[in-house]
Amino acid sequence: MLVAIVLLALEPFFAPYIKIDVTIVSAALLFAIAAMSANLLLGYTGLPPFGNAAFFGLGAYGCGLSLKYLNVHFITATLFGMLAALLGALIVAPFLVRRRGIYFGLLSIAFGQVFYFIAYRFTSVTGGEDGMSVPRPYLVFSSFTLKETAFYYLSLVVFVISLLAFKLIVQSPFGRTLVAIRQNELRVRYLGLDSNRFVFVAILISAGFAGLSGALSAMLNGFIAPLSLDWHQSGDFVLATILGGSGTVWGPLIGSLIYEIGRDIISTITPYWQIFLGALFVACVLGFPRGILGTILARVGAAPLSNEPEEANWTQSPAIAADHRG
Amino acid sequence: MLEHAGPQIFNGLVLGAFYAIVAIGLSLIMNLTGTINMAHGSFMTLAGYLAFTMIARGTNFWFAFVAAPIIAVLVAVIVERTLIRPLYGRDPVYSLLLTFGLSLIAEEVFHVIWGANTLPFAPPASLSGTLALGFMNFPVYRLFIVVVLVLAFAALALFLYYTRFGLRLRAAVQDTEMIAALGTNTQLLYTINFGLGILLAGIAGVLAVGLLGLNPTTGNTLLMPAFVTVIIGGMGSLYGSIVGGILIGLATSLMTLYVPAASEVVIYVLMAIVLTIRPRGLFGEEGLFG
Repeated sequence: MLVAIVLLALEPFFAPYIKIDVTIVSAALLFAIAAMSANLLLGYTGLPPFGNAAFFGLGAYGCGLSLKYLNVHFITATLFGMLAALLGALIVAPFLVRRRGIYFGLLSIAFGQVFYFIAYRFTSVTGGEDGMSVPRPYLVFSSFTLKETAFYYLSLVVFVISLLAFKLIVQSPFGRTLVAIRQNELRVRYLGLDSNRFVFVAILISAGFAGLSGALSAMLNGFIAPLSLDWHQSGDFVLATILGGSGTVWGPLIGSLIYEIGRDIISTITPYWQIFLGALFVACVLGFPRGILGTILARVGAAPLSNEPEEANWTQSPAIAADHRG
Repeated sequence: MLEHAGPQIFNGLVLGAFYAIVAIGLSLIMNLTGTINMAHGSFMTLAGYLAFTMIARGTNFWFAFVAAPIIAVLVAVIVERTLIRPLYGRDPVYSLLLTFGLSLIAEEVFHVIWGANTLPFAPPASLSGTLALGFMNFPVYRLFIVVVLVLAFAALALFLYYTRFGLRLRAAVQDTEMIAALGTNTQLLYTINFGLGILLAGIAGVLAVGLLGLNPTTGNTLLMPAFVTVIIGGMGSLYGSIVGGILIGLATSLMTLYVPAASEVVIYVLMAIVLTIRPRGLFGEEGLFG
């Protein structure tokens, strides 16, 4: 773990040699935070999160708007972004908590789209389709904005903190309960735990991570467009998670690095990045559904949390299935 | 303002019928195999482009109208057999991601072959023009769309409820293992069911070309309302999809008239209201995916 962080910390120094720009790695680190947010729901709780881009985008707009209109410090703006994402989650989560499996996926896509259309249509505030620009952040004086390398280290620090927080969460009794919900929700309920409440909190935490990622990404790009709230974006988060290994702590980072660096390289060669992305989806699903890290861990015998429990929790426990039908 | 409401209500009904037919196709596939087919819109667009190309090469409209959806179904059957089949019985997130990837590829391929611009498409002379209904003039093409979609609904209902195959299909939704044990080839059932869903999508796709224009994302713009239709109508209900589709079709077109900015968001608000009152949708059935 330390090795990976040290390697990442040294990246700016060997960036010119391996021709991978720090901005790309910054983007990957921030993307990884959003992928972690998807991972909490997908890999641990067993729910397909296809609306996390909404929280990501709320974080971005929350941060961008507070920087633009309130002229606050970027740390405050980031907190505003996370707050916006949490508020969004508070509205949506009550509809989502009672559902599992494909119904959860469907609802998360549909509710996520609401925020996309609001951003798209609310032109006077968000700039609509044209997007809005975000001023570059500064640490102390407004004349000293953070340059690429400084922002890279900021992203790295935030990423490491997020990773540690994520690790603490999934290893805590709370995180264990989420895994238990994925494996056998009925048993969790028989033990007297209100599983819906755990799912509710998981959605909020997930939204917080996504909002954090969105806020920093907005500052990194200096720009926000409504498309960052679209469900395609949510799909990319899920892809990065599965590509790296869902249900593993480091998987989302691996997936995000491949996603961002791959996009950077392929975009310079051909204009058809989207075809490659689509092919990556297909290959990942059919070829290595456990993801890169998941496959490696399975090889060495340290079986990771499989995303496919032996008993698919929501189809074969009739009582819960009945309950979730409402 | 009110004098415009009449035509908008008719437009809403047409739009609603579209949403319904796409939603039924999605719903068929979702109920039997637990696959959320994100590539559904791509098959619609494919059928649209195929029809466009055939007509541009001088083919008769009616031939193209029948042939394009069938070709789309053939492509869909190949895709189902090779790519989607290995994912049955696995976590639904995988088939969702796979079909999502397929839709990304398809969109870019359409882009490369037919370009990004919206292509012009004129319905044949027999279907253009308007029909005077006394209180309003109604385009014949829209009427044609309504007739075709109503016929498609009727045919589907007859197929599902009055044929042995339809019976097997409905039984398989309830209990796939049992129907397999009783000697039905469930793999074949899945394939035919998938093809059936895509057939509906293909018909809608060709019809949509004359109504919404044709560009690489035509089908995908109908996909999201179709999801909402499934949620509002209740998963697994044919009639629910029709009612849900018409409901959101009307809501969309009336909002377009009165509050254009809210025309997209209104269907999600409607969805939230329905889910608050009836968590499993208006006609959600027991015994299906929950």
